[in-house]
Amino acid sequence: MSNVGTSVPRTDGPSKVVGTAKYVDDLSMPGMLHGATLRSPVARGILKRIVKDPAFDWTGITFVDATDVPVNVVALIQDDQPVLASHEIRHRYEPLALIACDDALRLARAARHVTFEIEPLPAIFDPRASFERREIVAPPDNVFGRYRITKGDAEAALASCEVVVSGTYSVHHQEQLYIEPQGVIAWFDERGAHVHGSIQCPYYVQKGVKKTFVLTESDVDVVQTVTGGGFGGKEEYPTVISLHALLLAKKSRRPVKMIYDRQEDIEATTKRHPAEIGIVTGCDRDGTLRAISIHVLMDGGAYVTLTPVVLSRGILHAAGAYRWEHVLAEAVAVATNTPPNGAFRGFGAPQTIWAVERHLDKVARQLGMDPLVLKSNNVLRVGDTTATSQTLKESVGIGECIEKARTASDWDRKRALGPVVQGRKARGIGACVFMHGAGFTGSGERRLKGRVALDLLLGGRVRIRTASTDIGQGTETVFSQIAADALGLPMSQVEFLQPSTARVPDSGPTVASRTVMVVGSIVEAAARELKERIDAEQAATGLDRRRAMDALVFRAMGTAEHVYDTPRDLEWDDATYRGDAYPVYGWGCDIAEVEVDLDTFETKVLGFWAAADVGKAIHPTHCKGQIEGGTLQAIGWALHEQIVWKDGAILNGRMTNYIVPTSLDAPPFTTLLVEAPYSRGPGGGAKGIGELPMDGGAPAIAAAIEHATGISMDNLPCLPEDLFERARKGRAA
Amino acid sequence: MIVRLEVNGERRLVDLPPLTRLLDALRGPLGLTGTKEGCGEGECGSCTVLLDGDPVNACLVATAQCEGRSVTTVEGLGALDGRARETGGLSLLQAAFVTEGGAQCGICTPGMLIAAEALLRETVDGANRKPTDTEIREAVAGNICRCTGYQRIVDSIAQAAALRRRVSPADWVRENLPFAKAEGTRGLL
Amino acid sequence: MSLPELSLHGLERPDSLGSVCERLAERAARGEKTVLLAGGTDWFVERHVAPATDGSEAELVLDVSRLPELRGISASGDTLWIGAATTYLELRRHPVVAARVPLLPAMSKDVGAVQIQARGTLGGNLATASPAADGVGALAALDATVHLLSVRGPRSIAISDYFTGYKRSVRAADEVITGFTVQMPGEGSFQYWRKVGTRLAQAISKVALAGVAEVSDGQVTRLGLGMVSVAPTTAFLPTVRALALRRPLDRIADSALDAATQADVSPIDDVRSTGDYRRHVSGALVREFFRTLRSR
Repeated sequence: MSNVGTSVPRTDGPSKVVGTAKYVDDLSMPGMLHGATLRSPVARGILKRIVKDPAFDWTGITFVDATDVPVNVVALIQDDQPVLASHEIRHRYEPLALIACDDALRLARAARHVTFEIEPLPAIFDPRASFERREIVAPPDNVFGRYRITKGDAEAALASCEVVVSGTYSVHHQEQLYIEPQGVIAWFDERGAHVHGSIQCPYYVQKGVKKTFVLTESDVDVVQTVTGGGFGGKEEYPTVISLHALLLAKKSRRPVKMIYDRQEDIEATTKRHPAEIGIVTGCDRDGTLRAISIHVLMDGGAYVTLTPVVLSRGILHAAGAYRWEHVLAEAVAVATNTPPNGAFRGFGAPQTIWAVERHLDKVARQLGMDPLVLKSNNVLRVGDTTATSQTLKESVGIGECIEKARTASDWDRKRALGPVVQGRKARGIGACVFMHGAGFTGSGERRLKGRVALDLLLGGRVRIRTASTDIGQGTETVFSQIAADALGLPMSQVEFLQPSTARVPDSGPTVASRTVMVVGSIVEAAARELKERIDAEQAATGLDRRRAMDALVFRAMGTAEHVYDTPRDLEWDDATYRGDAYPVYGWGCDIAEVEVDLDTFETKVLGFWAAADVGKAIHPTHCKGQIEGGTLQAIGWALHEQIVWKDGAILNGRMTNYIVPTSLDAPPFTTLLVEAPYSRGPGGGAKGIGELPMDGGAPAIAAAIEHATGISMDNLPCLPEDLFERARKGRAA
Repeated sequence: MIVRLEVNGERRLVDLPPLTRLLDALRGPLGLTGTKEGCGEGECGSCTVLLDGDPVNACLVATAQCEGRSVTTVEGLGALDGRARETGGLSLLQAAFVTEGGAQCGICTPGMLIAAEALLRETVDGANRKPTDTEIREAVAGNICRCTGYQRIVDSIAQAAALRRRVSPADWVRENLPFAKAEGTRGLL
Repeated sequence: MSLPELSLHGLERPDSLGSVCERLAERAARGEKTVLLAGGTDWFVERHVAPATDGSEAELVLDVSRLPELRGISASGDTLWIGAATTYLELRRHPVVAARVPLLPAMSKDVGAVQIQARGTLGGNLATASPAADGVGALAALDATVHLLSVRGPRSIAISDYFTGYKRSVRAADEVITGFTVQMPGEGSFQYWRKVGTRLAQAISKVALAGVAEVSDGQVTRLGLGMVSVAPTTAFLPTVRALALRRPLDRIADSALDAATQADVSPIDDVRSTGDYRRHVSGALVREFFRTLRSR
């Protein structure tokens, strides 16, 4: 019996398609109030006074400000972000006060009767100005993180290279735009604090609640309700909304529901970090890459949140999927007076991969080479060392990815043909080659010690208890497949417990492409242990399998809890940023074919070929779904999506003008799975692939646009207006 | 204002302020939370329902405007194929979304299914033909999905179109979704 | 008024156009505001976006979506009548419209997506008087006549005389838009619709051009143009029309068209696009219209 490798029906599918799956806004509690957040109208300033209009009838309205917050910090990496600003305001939309009421109309009206007296301060929106400390907006020096990677001697090598190419690249904000907005229901009772909501990482929320309300672990239960997408946007942000709802609940002594309106969600929650990346490379005339020097400046927004980690992943991917003898990579993240930027699928890597891929397209142009040949010739293989001097020992399927994508897309013919211009439309084709570190960086897993429990239940059933959430990617199904196969049980006998910090062990957060690869392998190990117990029980008693399982339950031997068995041979030095940055990598080759309208500069993606080395596709349909969904987010980032800012405020915080692709904008996808197994991956070698598909789309699209039109975009986005301006400047020059 | 309307084949009566959004009437007094709100301004399509057979955004319709009209929500799709109890309440279209990967996070799924159902009624039921790839993409162009890249949604609808009126939904679902459990999951603990 | 304030509005469903006019007249005389609600695709969005007020008096809403007098499409000779409460989906499905005025279904298909097309109406599109209204662009190209009715009687005006400024029109507070008449282009006419939106569906126009032309012996004998999102109101492109009408088609130079277009548009920067881009695209679409017309 084998479920792994088969596209079994999604276990949470039936309830989702008949509408019985309960998302947080589908739930309510008796006596529940609705909460709202009152936010800063300025980007930077000092909050002098909060005025509640005495003429307004405040009966039945709960009001909370910073004086009501026991410990006024949102616990994350640094404790710099207040739950509610009490003095200094660092960004527009920063939460200043909270209100709740059981009546939506009274709530909306009460909001109008709170005014904030704020002394404005000069704000910084340009990361370069922040880096130059034109204003200190985040003491002491505006810097949220710095990293440096060295290998060989890049400066010396560049001085002696035959061909030296330099360029500057930039990327912009991106909104996750999960279709279910952020939301929670929270209350206190005799057992402590409760939060139910749309949450990627229940234990992150628990950590925040413990800190702010000075509670212990057993006082706080955080439960994930069915979650309508996250993509990183529900990694750290739910802690904020949960704390807000709990503050209102504590003061009102009632359950409080907070569901963000779409506009509030776009304006106030985290986004992808913008970045500016300078690259200088040196290579031989035949295209052999030698040295690269990279400088990254990332915009963290107003508070630290996860910025140092995003910056770290960004710099670790900045040299791309290539062999370099000499690498110098330096990265800095700084504060600006915009809402904090945070986790979004790819987590820094799409930013730097955009730069290195656009840069290599430029190198290929200078050398007169087919860019895919240049990339293919230099791509990392087993035995090569990465920028952090990690030797790749296994599971490097990039060669096969490139070949598959190249053949399926008819790359050689289409590329050689040059742009095909018919009337006012030009067609072109472009490629991107990339890798993405699977799992936490360096020693992350060793520190984390992720845990999973499996319980035998009476009747020959088994239940998985893990904090890894299914936010759409298919965790429940895939874990059930892994457990079923390891136990030799049919899928129908496996259950997945709704994640709740009171009932599931801390498996670590649902992030970093680690869920299947890392947590899945803990599930597998726990299932194997249970199987051994069942086998032993059968051998000892001669009972049939089901009775043997029941016997174990009766003897309280039915639970197996496992801790992640961190690969011991990984060596990582946080001080020098050298060593095994990731246990293994996912690999990808994306090829895009586009048609650009030469009058309107609209880009239509005609076809997209995505080849990805996933180690082992436990569920091929879900795996392809992840790749296609991530790729379309990348295409949207390139062609449609853009936050329009004015003085730190967002002008297009609605779905009518923050534009994500529709089914008509999406290309037909040809998704090609490559399986170069990872020896420690579950199900016969699965690697993390959640983030990988976010990396390749934008550079592939830009390369195709360049092939079609000759317009070479170094900066994202590639909206029609951007291509038009670029073409106009090109003509002027 | 008292409004009489037919919801999923049943006569229902609601007493609400007349401009109450149909979405709120459905999710509130009518108890049908399968219809979702993603934006509240007719952009995301998560709240799509059929109003007299045409797909509309329930967030832009006044309940009073539905007087005497028929509304179909995701909860009403399963019944269409009959023998709902045997199929866990799933129609072929719904089952195809489960087997072909059309549903990931599921929040756009109810609206997506309704838009697809309108297409299948027009093409398969009305004109006895399968919709083209372009027709499928046009039919769900008002339903934003951020998870799938749409490919598997298009494939799911194409499969449902191919099977519709050709196989018994109950038999097909029993065979292809052997452990379909559509009962509500994950309420408050 | 914000979303929660929806509960404050009263709604009436007048059973005839006459009673709509009477209600409007009474209320207008008292200085009370009244909303005529058809598909609601604009009105509900505005409610969603607007901040709350303190008012206890909300505008009265008259549901006109199902008034028989405002519905339906009919042809009489070469004249086409389109009721104001006709939806885009109805325009897409009507056989006479498809055969004689394919511009209308082509435009309708580009409005939002099917959910909006099933609710949004041509009359509502005009009533909002937004320069981004695709339907009005098509009506402008067809040189439609707008029919208004009040207790004071009916009146008909050319659509080019309808607008008085950004989101402002000649329609009085007591008047209802009842429908439109269009002289259907002849056999062999050229009809053009192109929308450059923010994406391929669910998009608001950055620029869109509707065009109608008839050519006889190489001369342009009928020309109608309507451009969307390039001026405070729907743009009728009078300079372009004057340049080309009754002129031999092969003597209309692209450079002259460009100059005329630029004289007729005054686009701005907003969250959806830039004034420069819109100027450029305006020129390109007009050129494409004439290029396609010539090559027929």
